[in-house]
Amino acid sequence: MRIGIPRALLYYNYYPFWKIFFESLGHEVVLSSPTNKKILKDGLESTVDDACLPVKVFHGHVIDLINTVDAVFIPRIISVESGEFICPKFLGLPDMIRNSVAGLPRIIDCELSLYRNKTGFMEHAIRVGRLLGNSTQEALRAYLLASSKYNSYKKFRVKNGRLPIDEGDKSFFEVTAPDYSKYKDGSFKFNVLVLGHPYNIYDRYVSMNLIKKLQDFGAKIITPEIIPERNISAGAKKLNKKLFWTLGKNILGSAYYYMDNCKLDGIVHVASFGCGPDSLVGELLERKVSRDYSLPFLYLNLDEHAGEEGFNTRLEAFVDILERRRCGESNVSSHG
Amino acid sequence: MTGCYLGIDVGSVSTNFALIDENGNLLKKLYLRTAGRPIEAITNGLKMIQESFEDDIKIMGVGTTGSGRKLAAVIVGADVIKNEITAHAVACITEYPDTRTILEIGGQDSKIIILRDGVVVDFAMNTVCAAGTGSFLDRQAQRLGIPIERFGDIALMSQNPTRIAGRCAVFAESDMIHKQQMGYKVEDILKGLCQALVRNYLANVAKGKEIKSPVVFQGGVAANTGIKRAFEEELGMEIIIPRYFDVMGALGAAILAKKFMAQNKRAKTKFAGFEAAFREHTAGSFECQGCPNLCEVVQIYVDGKLVARWGDRCGRWSADMAV
Repeated sequence: MRIGIPRALLYYNYYPFWKIFFESLGHEVVLSSPTNKKILKDGLESTVDDACLPVKVFHGHVIDLINTVDAVFIPRIISVESGEFICPKFLGLPDMIRNSVAGLPRIIDCELSLYRNKTGFMEHAIRVGRLLGNSTQEALRAYLLASSKYNSYKKFRVKNGRLPIDEGDKSFFEVTAPDYSKYKDGSFKFNVLVLGHPYNIYDRYVSMNLIKKLQDFGAKIITPEIIPERNISAGAKKLNKKLFWTLGKNILGSAYYYMDNCKLDGIVHVASFGCGPDSLVGELLERKVSRDYSLPFLYLNLDEHAGEEGFNTRLEAFVDILERRRCGESNVSSHG
Repeated sequence: MTGCYLGIDVGSVSTNFALIDENGNLLKKLYLRTAGRPIEAITNGLKMIQESFEDDIKIMGVGTTGSGRKLAAVIVGADVIKNEITAHAVACITEYPDTRTILEIGGQDSKIIILRDGVVVDFAMNTVCAAGTGSFLDRQAQRLGIPIERFGDIALMSQNPTRIAGRCAVFAESDMIHKQQMGYKVEDILKGLCQALVRNYLANVAKGKEIKSPVVFQGGVAANTGIKRAFEEELGMEIIIPRYFDVMGALGAAILAKKFMAQNKRAKTKFAGFEAAFREHTAGSFECQGCPNLCEVVQIYVDGKLVARWGDRCGRWSADMAV
């Protein structure tokens, strides 16, 4: 079977696992194209109006897959960590898609909730395998293979600081040797922590190439995806109360850990316009950063805007602040 | 002949020029309406500056800022192209070195800039929504049939301001219309609107920032005495409005150009001369079909010759144009 995976939302987290899983069951995995103007337009036109931009982009990616696959993989995700939740929009995603997109192929929709059940991911994978007509045995074998490869991928990612960014049409998982030669360690001027949901910071179209732009300004980019999970947990423990949004916890945990333990020059927080969980996370983050650490902090709010000028202005002004802190006053570069 | 530095700030509502001499004194300022045609505004401004000085000045350096800074740089030839946050801060600390907070409200943007010891340490801008900025006030004044210049003074006459919803420009407009229909006085509505905008600005743009005096209020909206008063009432502080509040971005760009040329003594200005104003500038765009991104690529022509391109994400079109 040709199984389509939309290059959106949790793609940046779980794609390596599902690719190996499906392929070892003998299926072909097809990715939607990287986000482009048409995908955005299709998404905006089909999605219910009050959804956030990433959900709209997801709709566009599903539409991009319609005529090329036999089935689209859209699991119903409730929780990916024990005792935590993911945004409620993920829970309703298969329903939203069925309601809004016409001419759909089969949707592989299977519930995932690890809230009370830590080993639930294996059961989830087996159920997915059975939905595809494979036996429990086969699905289990595929699960074991995929999870071991996925875990070593994650270790590799953290160890090498490899951000999950696609290159051209190639998925981040298939990019073997990204061209970081330009950004050798000694050449970085600042360490910048970029925080946000993976689908906002790594989608080059939606984020207006934020990471590349910051790298071109001489920033070394750190994101939650390349920080060891135990450090994120240690950081998150500094909160007065457990934060039960997984993505928000990763953001705050990374920030709290990094600010205390590593050299950091500034923080960029990216959020989608109208994001419920992030309104809370952003507020906590901004208060902490400016009150206790007095680090330069830039908040970027993304929506369907195509004009990059406003975005660039904010970035440039932020880099000016970093630059001045580095070199002292009166040193303002002539461009940017 | 006096050596001068020119700063140009191309904003959404106004295009401003500031001309300073070697000592940083302002020789001329212009506040022109962009009116959706930035190229014309820029060339008109150049002509006006040339007319007022004839051949008495020599431009030693040019700085551009504002959302149209790249466009202005192509037309006029700029040595410094700088974002408007830095430009505003530079202009402000040149005049008021002790400033600790800058409130800036322009046509489409509002910002807060926090300075400590003359250095920008933090800033924030309105997010994706541009509610409560100059263009909205413009529109409301127009709708009520009041010249924008008198907006503030009328608002100050109010004894009993009415409450207007300030969170969103569309909400504010419908609330104002309802209040009008109910028979509230125009001055009470205007004062209410000023308070709503200030409330909205402080809650959104200045959220979580420590506003310490001296506070300087600049940008086109600083001309509005009603807004200034509403800020003073809300913050309980005196608000300073600089002499050249409406061209601070341009002034900052001019100062930056002067600094840049002083640091690079051998550099020759890229200024294209006043004759640039008489060339024919055309801009056009096309949709690149090279990949599914379908970028909208902008091309700028001067006298029929292609001089600049931008808007492509991959650099396919802009890379070979040295801008």
